[in-house]
Amino acid sequence: MNQSAKQSTAYAQDANTQVDTSSGDAFVKFRYKWIPTHIFGELLSKPWIDNVVPVTILLLVVAFFSATVNNFLLPANVMDGTRQIGELGFVVIGLMFVVVGGGIDLSVGSNFALGNLLALALTNIFGLPVWVVFIAVIFTCSFVGLINGILVGYFKLRAFLTTLVMLIGLRALVDTLLLEYALDISAGYFDDDFWYFIGDGDVLGIPTSVFLLIIVAIAMHIVLSRTKLGWHIMAVGGSRRSAHNAGISLNRTVCLSYVMCGAFAGISAFFYAARLGNGGSYPGVGLEVLALTAVIVGGISLGGGRGSVFKAVIGTMIVQIISLGVVQAGLLSGAGQLVLGLILLAAIGFNVRWVKNRDKVLSRIYMSPTYFALPKAPETSESSGSPYAANDRLGAVEVIGLDQVDGAEDVVFDSHDNLYCGDRRGNIMRFDAPDYKQARVFAHIGGHPLGMAIDSQDRVVVCVGGMGLYRVDQSANVEKLTDETNRSPFAIIDDSRLRLTDDCDIAPDGRIFFSEATIRFDMSTWPSDALESRGSGRIVCYDPKRNTTKTVARNLTFPNGIVTSFNGQSILFAESWACRISRYWFDGPKAGQIERVIENLPGYPDNINRASDGTYWMALMGMRSPALDLALRMPSFRKRMSQEISNDEWLYPNINTGCIVRFSEDGEIIESLWDKAGDNHPMITSMREHKGRLYIGGIFNNRIGSLKIDSEDQNWTGSESYWSKS
Amino acid sequence: MINLLSRLFTPKQAATVPSMDGVLRPNEALDALSVIIEITAPDNFVNMGSDLIFSSGKELFSISNATADSAPKPYKKFESEVTALAASANGILAIGLQDGGIQFMGGGVDGVSLQDLDGRTANCITALAFNGEGELFICQGSRKNNATEWQRDLLEKQASGSVWRVDIESMKLNLIADNLAFPNGVFIQDNSIVISESWKHRLVRFDLNGNKAAQNVIMADMPGYPGRLVPAANGGAWLCVFAPRRQLTEFVLREDAYRTRMLNELSSEHWIAPTLRAGKSFAEPMQGGAVKVHGIHKAWAPTRSYGMLILLDENLTPAISYHSRADGKRHGIVSVCEINGQLLIASRGNDVICTLPISQPELEADT
Repeated sequence: MNQSAKQSTAYAQDANTQVDTSSGDAFVKFRYKWIPTHIFGELLSKPWIDNVVPVTILLLVVAFFSATVNNFLLPANVMDGTRQIGELGFVVIGLMFVVVGGGIDLSVGSNFALGNLLALALTNIFGLPVWVVFIAVIFTCSFVGLINGILVGYFKLRAFLTTLVMLIGLRALVDTLLLEYALDISAGYFDDDFWYFIGDGDVLGIPTSVFLLIIVAIAMHIVLSRTKLGWHIMAVGGSRRSAHNAGISLNRTVCLSYVMCGAFAGISAFFYAARLGNGGSYPGVGLEVLALTAVIVGGISLGGGRGSVFKAVIGTMIVQIISLGVVQAGLLSGAGQLVLGLILLAAIGFNVRWVKNRDKVLSRIYMSPTYFALPKAPETSESSGSPYAANDRLGAVEVIGLDQVDGAEDVVFDSHDNLYCGDRRGNIMRFDAPDYKQARVFAHIGGHPLGMAIDSQDRVVVCVGGMGLYRVDQSANVEKLTDETNRSPFAIIDDSRLRLTDDCDIAPDGRIFFSEATIRFDMSTWPSDALESRGSGRIVCYDPKRNTTKTVARNLTFPNGIVTSFNGQSILFAESWACRISRYWFDGPKAGQIERVIENLPGYPDNINRASDGTYWMALMGMRSPALDLALRMPSFRKRMSQEISNDEWLYPNINTGCIVRFSEDGEIIESLWDKAGDNHPMITSMREHKGRLYIGGIFNNRIGSLKIDSEDQNWTGSESYWSKS
Repeated sequence: MINLLSRLFTPKQAATVPSMDGVLRPNEALDALSVIIEITAPDNFVNMGSDLIFSSGKELFSISNATADSAPKPYKKFESEVTALAASANGILAIGLQDGGIQFMGGGVDGVSLQDLDGRTANCITALAFNGEGELFICQGSRKNNATEWQRDLLEKQASGSVWRVDIESMKLNLIADNLAFPNGVFIQDNSIVISESWKHRLVRFDLNGNKAAQNVIMADMPGYPGRLVPAANGGAWLCVFAPRRQLTEFVLREDAYRTRMLNELSSEHWIAPTLRAGKSFAEPMQGGAVKVHGIHKAWAPTRSYGMLILLDENLTPAISYHSRADGKRHGIVSVCEINGQLLIASRGNDVICTLPISQPELEADT
């Protein structure tokens, strides 16, 4: 072990030269402080980021035509244009449902024509009331959709061919009917104010059709994103097999999407008929191409599973504005089609690339290390005389429950001396006093139970990684206390849901303070957070009296262990990657303030707990290495490393060797306990003093350690210290 | 040529290393061997008639040939570290020293020393080999760094090594090859010598008649850094691979800013670099896969040190390989020697000498 002493000395020598204030470092520090590159990754991870491109196209299109075409923004022009957008919008929303569900409907144009013809015939020839006409049209068009749906959904015919046949067949039917009724329709006259209102009226200055479109769009957005039907359609479009395995009826869902598409074609036809009363053979010709273009330009993936109502509306606006703009620019009649065709081609190409590469780009850029300089690390060599000096005091640790537990991050005792610990398999394990021989599953929660505390009624309060804050009473009833907190203003990622609750402790009044290590990563991706070394964790307070959860401190660098101070007015918390301990005052004159207690630890602090003599125990789960300390001052190096070499090859914080440190209320280091061989207890994330012994947990361990210590009060227990009972 | 073209047109190659596959598939053969001697930094076996001589730091020790398990006897001590040894059949011993060039003992050149190689200080003698009694081949690993600073030489991407032939009678030097990336082993075969060029992970053959066309690369892109080559009974050679290549090391080699600061600001034990034995201190760099779970250090974990010994057949293609993996205890294999049906293996990383019985048929000479 002479070797390790020598090396530790060498480490201290490194550290002397490590604190570097060269201008290069200053620039890097400045750049990473003021240019928050990590938000690009966060932005790209949002579902709505897909909309940026169509919205940009829309703005460009509007800007282009208003600059090149005279009177493009004339009120009458705009009114007429928006009215048409309203009509097309219904068709596009309907088609969107089919496309998101993984299908395609080419028959919308013919269906539209049928609806138009029917509406005109019922009004002009038969003079039925408007609402009857409305229902009849929608019913008829939905029926056409139903035929499509049955053929495609239940009989598994190809959507493209089936609806192509429907397109041709319906068109033939419409033409035949036109031969019969065209004259009657043109000759007839339907004088109804409501009919005029639908065709030419407006509500609050908005054309009736657009007004209705807005309402329908909002409703359909809710249907698609918040209801069972919408989720089913998305699921079927995203992956038919997975949807089937999840118990979704593919046949029914697909069929329904076609029915909805037909219904919306009907609504559109109804408005069209009311506006123009055009009984010719022209209506609806080429509408399917227009609608499909709108769907794709809006960014809805033809492959299914990706899309929204908002995208459909944006796509509609782009397509309609281009069509109108081209006409108003005085180009030849075919030019509009040509321009649309080209845009369609470009949009498909872009969409395919985007869908294919978005996740790749995201995984490349999401991780965004920042500049973090740690000062010279304190001495740890055996001969240094430093309070951190390595020793073998943990060598005598006894092993409890070998292979009975897996990943006991923390251990805790109730007032009857029973031991509880977490387990990676989602259990709270219990070892009964007094021999602690046999572990049994006390309660199954799921997730990975991490830090724990015992409340005044002997209930176990536990932070469950990936789930939130839970409480288990002595009858093993599991109760969720909280799994969300208030969302931070201006946060891009939704940080209301708790992702990595880590450790908790209880204040005298019952409030529970707990840490969430990071909001940017999950339990399994903690090394990414270590490499980032960014302050993305927080401390949250749960108040059981009011049943409220509130974030009390933000931007902490992997906040981990928490302990309620002996003074009952503050908590001490560890920030692992920042190698420091701080104090948060929740009561008293300094309430709300954070003070640094210990800085520049030689390792990464984890859980903190009370010791019998008014001091605190702290686990260092791993030790700093000079190579990583240097890398922390070179963020771009870490970023390239994360991109170019595999995860297992990354430079990690060394969490194979740790130690236990005891410190006083004002942050003075009193002693440290090491196990250099690391045979009995390989890693340390937590320790708990109980009746003259120290019980040790480790997140990657299959055991619990137990060590006799020379404390003055051999009957001291945590629950007595907290709740004054034995 | 294709390799060159692909490098020209690929802006950045991925930091990958070849996998250990085929004959080089990992096993735990080295860990199964029995230890006969525990001694600090054993290296440089040579067979001197009835004795076997090896170095440990500044000292030479001898053990009796017949009873290889006897305790080592001190043989000679020097002022500086012994970096290479060679013995001729008639008992001339050539000793490469860190700060003392090459010294000769025995024969007609007893006491002669060679302080420089044609004007270059002989401070990085990595390997020596006699060709009969009249010639000695010398590998000088680097012009800049001495032999114990091999990690720095790698991280500085040096290619300043050279191979020499010296005539024992006249001490006349003859440069065979220059600007090699750390020549670290020499093996004489027919009318050519084979050099292991560590930092280029390859074996290169040089023709002794000066026929440049006959120079060729024998093994390229190895998964570790090749070191000493020792003649084997099968007509081929034993190749000691003293450290493994790692993605992280290859990556750091591309990162000039980080590498420079690491070399300047950190002491060498803490560098991201291959080593003969990793894991001696918690302050060393640790890689993700090396996190212990349930107290177990995974055998496949990325590691900066490794134990690997390859037997090459007479065509110098690998025939068998012996490994000690990340969790093993025979890392940093630097020297071997065949004696009395046994192979002595020096694991410098773990400070032990162990034996491998070579009575197995595949290890014996082809008939």
